[in-house]
Amino acid sequence: MWLDRNSSGDKWKVRPDGAEKVTGKLRYLTDMKFPDLLYGRVLRSTVPYARILSIDMSAALRSPGVIAVLTYRNIPGLNGFGISTPDQPVFCEHVVRFEGDAVAAVAATSEEAAEHALQLIQVDYEELPILDTPEASLQEGAPLLHKDGNILHQTDYSRGDLEVGFGQCAYVVEETYLTPRQMHTYLETEGGIFVPEDGKLTVYAPTQHGYKDRMQLSRILDMDEERIRVISSPIGGSFGGKDELNVQPYGALLALHCQKPVKMHYSRWESVVAGLKRHPMKVTMKTGMNIEGELIAHQVTILSDTGAYSTLGGPVLNFATEHAVGPYRIAHVDVKGKAVYTNNGVSGEFRGFGGNQVIFALEGQLDRLAEKMNIDPWELRKKNLRKATDLGPMGQRIVPTNGPEQVWEAIKQSPLWEKREASSDSTKPWIKCGIGVSLAMHGSGLGYGIPDHAGGTIRLNKEGKIEVAFGHEEFGQGLLGTLEILMLDHFGCSKEDIHIIIGDTDLVPPSGSSTASRTTNMVWQALNRLKGPFLEALFSKTSQLTGYPKEALRTGLGGIWAESPHKEKPLKQVITYMQLANGTNDFECTTEFHYPVTPDPIMGGHYLYTSTSVIAEVEVNVLTGMVVVKRIDHTVAAGPVINPMGYLGQIEGGSVMALGFTLTEDAVMSSGKYVTKNLDTYLIPTIFDVPEAHYVKAIDELPEGDPFGPRGVGEVGSVALAPAIVSAIKQATGVWVTELPLKPEMLLQQLPVLEEEIAKTPS
Amino acid sequence: MSHKVKPIEIEEVADYSLSFELNGKSVNINVNPSRRLVDIIRTDLDLTGTKISCEIGRCGACMVMVDGKQQNSCLTMAYQCEGKKIETIEGISEEKLDPIQQAFLEEGGFQCGYCTPGMIVSLKALLNEHPESTFEELKEGLSGNLCRCTGYGGIYRVIRRLSSDNN
Repeated sequence: MWLDRNSSGDKWKVRPDGAEKVTGKLRYLTDMKFPDLLYGRVLRSTVPYARILSIDMSAALRSPGVIAVLTYRNIPGLNGFGISTPDQPVFCEHVVRFEGDAVAAVAATSEEAAEHALQLIQVDYEELPILDTPEASLQEGAPLLHKDGNILHQTDYSRGDLEVGFGQCAYVVEETYLTPRQMHTYLETEGGIFVPEDGKLTVYAPTQHGYKDRMQLSRILDMDEERIRVISSPIGGSFGGKDELNVQPYGALLALHCQKPVKMHYSRWESVVAGLKRHPMKVTMKTGMNIEGELIAHQVTILSDTGAYSTLGGPVLNFATEHAVGPYRIAHVDVKGKAVYTNNGVSGEFRGFGGNQVIFALEGQLDRLAEKMNIDPWELRKKNLRKATDLGPMGQRIVPTNGPEQVWEAIKQSPLWEKREASSDSTKPWIKCGIGVSLAMHGSGLGYGIPDHAGGTIRLNKEGKIEVAFGHEEFGQGLLGTLEILMLDHFGCSKEDIHIIIGDTDLVPPSGSSTASRTTNMVWQALNRLKGPFLEALFSKTSQLTGYPKEALRTGLGGIWAESPHKEKPLKQVITYMQLANGTNDFECTTEFHYPVTPDPIMGGHYLYTSTSVIAEVEVNVLTGMVVVKRIDHTVAAGPVINPMGYLGQIEGGSVMALGFTLTEDAVMSSGKYVTKNLDTYLIPTIFDVPEAHYVKAIDELPEGDPFGPRGVGEVGSVALAPAIVSAIKQATGVWVTELPLKPEMLLQQLPVLEEEIAKTPS
Repeated sequence: MSHKVKPIEIEEVADYSLSFELNGKSVNINVNPSRRLVDIIRTDLDLTGTKISCEIGRCGACMVMVDGKQQNSCLTMAYQCEGKKIETIEGISEEKLDPIQQAFLEEGGFQCGYCTPGMIVSLKALLNEHPESTFEELKEGLSGNLCRCTGYGGIYRVIRRLSSDNN
């Protein structure tokens, strides 16, 4: 089914949060105000690596309007944060390790006074020679950025015997691929409000896992988790970037210290310098196949620049290691990865989670091998594609999936498929056209070995509404819409009969993170588990009150309805939800469970996957080296489509993010300092960079008996476009691109001279 | 080495008496003459439908209409607003939703929604001036508005629907 409004019928719904968003009425957390508000700011190092000799805050403290200046001395608990390893100091004490490291924070009565105070804090540094590439950090004798050295994490996965494998190969391709330091570029920069009250602290700040923020803040503040309330929705975009703490430690410390509400909201420049980026990776792959075109051996090394601190740099590398093998059958495999600390900005979690980089490389290998053997690259993929019940990429048992085969076949229904083989002549000889295709299988959930809890609560609230509570966040993806659709489906009621609570640790049960393409699947599973006991409770009570047998009862519009013994008669409402609630919150059921996980103990290995294929058409201007994407079609095999508008939006949005990754986006660092400081030089796609022709085909059939339901689609749209564009550029120009984003000047250097051809054109 | 920057003395003097019309109502306030319009709207007047994002006129999240034309409020200073008619997202749908807003709702023209007020203001300014705008004209009208969530898919559907040449 090509997803659009017409094909979706009544499941194409206006979002519950829509009216507030299009009218500007919605208060994002950074739009909130409190009386007596103070403004918080962070002093950042500005130098990438240095010893701190002294910090003098006296002038800042005397400055008008300044209420507090805090440093490492003012942290009651742990001076560190990081979801996986808390190795990032809240405030640096002896050493700064990157340009954005925090040294102090100020609270003042106005933004201007806070800004002014930052300039009055005198920090003396002794600058140290910096490590601005992973290679430099790995050199013998390099200074150690952390006590355990410069390697955050290493991976080593192998099977078979490479030497034997390559010995059987007739074709071998070896290539190194480089990927950019992509920025999430959520339009709402990091911010929030921190309100201390009666020994408690309420945090209004975007995150993708409220309970995790609460735990991290509790460690820093040395304060019981129960005394911290994290309100984390709505959010103006995240894409993984707000998963880690950002403003929270500073806002919380300042608010508690001053005992007043404190607001923080980063400028774009502060967001660039302090915020996470996608890990730049250098991926080298040597891949070989036999004379029949069967992949035999695959050797991969991944070098990942994790920047100054770890956040989820380790798990991202695990993910990259797994996805470097892809949905292909290969007997002899060796993947070695290193995530290395540098004095660059911190790399961390970002939509695709390490898959984007290695899928670009792996699909590039397949295309190059096909060229060597002179066969159709799509046929080469088919020859080597995994079968439904094959083991996963790292030999782990996975839920059977024929996704890769489905998307392989389905992409042929794109009109670009026919065009792919026809050489399309442009009337302008300096414009060259090409079409490329690629595919990927992308894991959902956090993977083996990482706690990946889920859960939810349902009740009839005292206002007579069926109320659900989930610890997930709405950052734009459409969670509220998905929940509404699921609930209306389950209960046959109207949207006025339901109430949804998310993103507030005082009101929701722990549900795990809103990351890793897991949320739709988790709320789908949770509601399936909750429905039975909840209905049982509702119907028992109704039966008691009305005398109707439980078996005859149904939920419906406004209340409980009963079937009459004569089936042909219409249902009759026997009690309203309001009457049943009788002024109390009741009939509450809660579920807790774990994301489905492979039984095989392979660290980070996934169990549930989504598959996608992408076909893209490009035009390359061989005079300027500029590439324009003319059309993109995706197929996605992710099980049933719950929320078509949300599904389509995830693929379209993820895809265009990948378009930026391929063609324009790079947070350039030079000697440990960001050169691209704002959106004038960091170029995300505008509407002019994106084709209107962009279609998504959803494949909803799952293998028979599959109990896991809808797979995640939050990330998969962003992982397979880059190799398709690169393949299209190759078809158009004969040039293989190995470094992203594509640099027009580098493409030009490699292009054959076309002057003669152009000279022949009639003007 | 020492990082000693001579502090810039900031004197926030709210000595400029500014009068302008905001969403049809007259506003008289004393502000610093160089205070940014985005701060007047969001902070001083607490109308937070206008968003703030890049602060250098590249993203369009802070777009407002000044005498009917789209303008980045982050690049507009208080003194430039004297006597002007300014409209923000809050002024676009006092009673019922504008057809532009309706189109964004029904076509999936937004996700996080943070760029949406700016997008709607840009289109509104254009359609007020040229009610028969073509698809290409509407697209050009959005050239100063960035969206990170949708990939412009839903926004293309919106302008296709609003354009005079939508067939």
